[in-house]
Amino acid sequence: MKVISDLLITALYTVFVQNLVLSTGLGMSEAIRVSTKPGTFGRFAVMISGFSVVTSILCSLIDSVPAVEQSTYAVRAAIYGAVLAGVYLLTATIMRFVFKASSKLMGTLGIAALNTLVLAIPFINNSAAYSLADSIGSGIGAGAAFVLAAAMISKGARIIEENADIPEVFKGTPAMFLYVAMLSLAFTGFSSTSLFA
Amino acid sequence: MSNSELSFKDIFVKGAVIYNPVLIQLVGLCPVVAASTTLKSAVMLSAAMCVSLVVTCVLASAVLKKVPRWVRMPVYLLTGLLMICPLLWFVETKTLATLSLGIKIYLPLVAINSVTAVHCEQFAVKNSVKTAFYDAAAVSLGASGIFILTGAVREILGSSSIAGIALNLPITLKGMTLPFGCLVLLGFMAAALKTLTGRYYAEAPAPEIRAPRTRETQPVSETEITEVEIFDEFWLEQEAETQPEPAPEPKQIIPEEPKEEVSAPKYTTAAEIDELLRSLGIDTEGGDKQ
Repeated sequence: MKVISDLLITALYTVFVQNLVLSTGLGMSEAIRVSTKPGTFGRFAVMISGFSVVTSILCSLIDSVPAVEQSTYAVRAAIYGAVLAGVYLLTATIMRFVFKASSKLMGTLGIAALNTLVLAIPFINNSAAYSLADSIGSGIGAGAAFVLAAAMISKGARIIEENADIPEVFKGTPAMFLYVAMLSLAFTGFSSTSLFA
Repeated sequence: MSNSELSFKDIFVKGAVIYNPVLIQLVGLCPVVAASTTLKSAVMLSAAMCVSLVVTCVLASAVLKKVPRWVRMPVYLLTGLLMICPLLWFVETKTLATLSLGIKIYLPLVAINSVTAVHCEQFAVKNSVKTAFYDAAAVSLGASGIFILTGAVREILGSSSIAGIALNLPITLKGMTLPFGCLVLLGFMAAALKTLTGRYYAEAPAPEIRAPRTRETQPVSETEITEVEIFDEFWLEQEAETQPEPAPEPKQIIPEEPKEEVSAPKYTTAAEIDELLRSLGIDTEGGDKQ
C-alpha cells in the first residue's frame, strides 16, 4: 500500500507541484511544438511515460551498484544515455519488425524517447534519492506533465492568435514566450520560491 | 537555388540571425531556460553545445545518410554524450572548478537537445559535409549568443553580479534566475530580433508559431507559410499518418518562395463556406432570397 501511495504522490508532485516542463524547462521545445498537434497528445503521453518508467527502473537498479553509486556525474550521464538509447533501440526494433510500425510512428517514437525530459528523469531520481516506487511515479508523472503543459500551451496559442490587441512586434514567438512564462510563473507559485530577494 | 549554391554568408546570416534556433525556431530551450542562470554556466553550456552540434552534424552528413532515421536518432545522442561526458569528467575531476548541481545535470542533456535532432535531420543528412558544417557552426553561434546574453542579464538582474563579481545593485530580481524570468527575457529578445530582421532583412518571411489548426480554424494562406514550418516538417510528418506521403524534394535551409500548404483547407460550417464564397466574389445572399 505504501508503495502505491509513494508512486501516486510522486506522480502528482511531478505533474502539478513541480511540473517538469514548465518549472524546469525540460522538454519545453517539444511541448511547444507538439502543442500545435493536439491529436498526438495521448500518444506522446503514453510513450514518454513508458520510456521514462523503463529508463528510471533500469537506472535505479544500476545506481545501486556500488561502483556506479560513487561515480561522477559524467560517468552516470554516459550510463543513463546508453540505457536510454538501448531501451529506445529495443523498442523501435520490436515496433518496426514485429508490429510493422509505419515510419511516421517510428518518428513519433524517436521524439518521445530521445528528449531532455526522459533523460533527465534518472538524474532527478538520483539527486532526490527516490525509491523504486518514487522513480516509477516520476516516470509516469513526466508523461502526464508533458501533456498538461502541451495542452495549456495549445489553448493559449489559440487565444494569442485571436487576440488583435497584441502589438505587431510581439505577435508570434514573442507572445508565445511570454505566455509560457506566465504558465511557468503559475507553477513557481506552488513552490516557496520568492521572486524578489 | 540548390543547396550547393548556398554560400557561407547565406547560411550564417540565416542560420544564426534570421532563423535563430532559440528565438525563432524554439529549439534548445531546455538548457537556456533552466541552466543559463549565470554567465559562467551559459558559456559552459554554449561550448558543450557547439562541440556536440558541429561534430554530430558533420558525422550525420558524412556517414549517416543511408541509415534509417529511427536508427540515426540514438546515434545523435550517443555522439553528443561522447563529446560532452569527457568534458564534464575533466571539469569534475581535473580542475578546481566547482560545478553547480544544475550544470552537472543539464550539461549532458545538451547531447539530446532538440537543436541537434532538428538540424541533423532537416539539414545535415541532406547536404554535403561542408554545408552541414557551416549550418552547424552558424546555428551554434546563434544559440550560443542567446545563451550567453541571457546568462549575463539573468546574473546581473537575478544575482546582482557578473561572472561572479558582485555589482551591489540596489534591487535584485530573484525571479530572473527562474525559468519564468528567462522566458520573459526571451520574449523581449524575440520581439527585438523580429524588429531587427524586419528592418534589415525585410525579404525574409516573418516566422510565427500559430495555434493548432483544427477543423474550425481558418485556412492559412500561402504567404503565411514560414520557415518555422519548413523546419517543422520533421514534426508535421508525425501527424500526417493517414495522408499520402508528399513527393520527396531536396531540402534546403531557406526557401526561395513560400511553400504551398500540404493539406487542403477544410470548411465545415455553413458560415465558413459562405465566407469562402464571398471571398471568391460569389454572392451567397441571392440564393437565400430566392
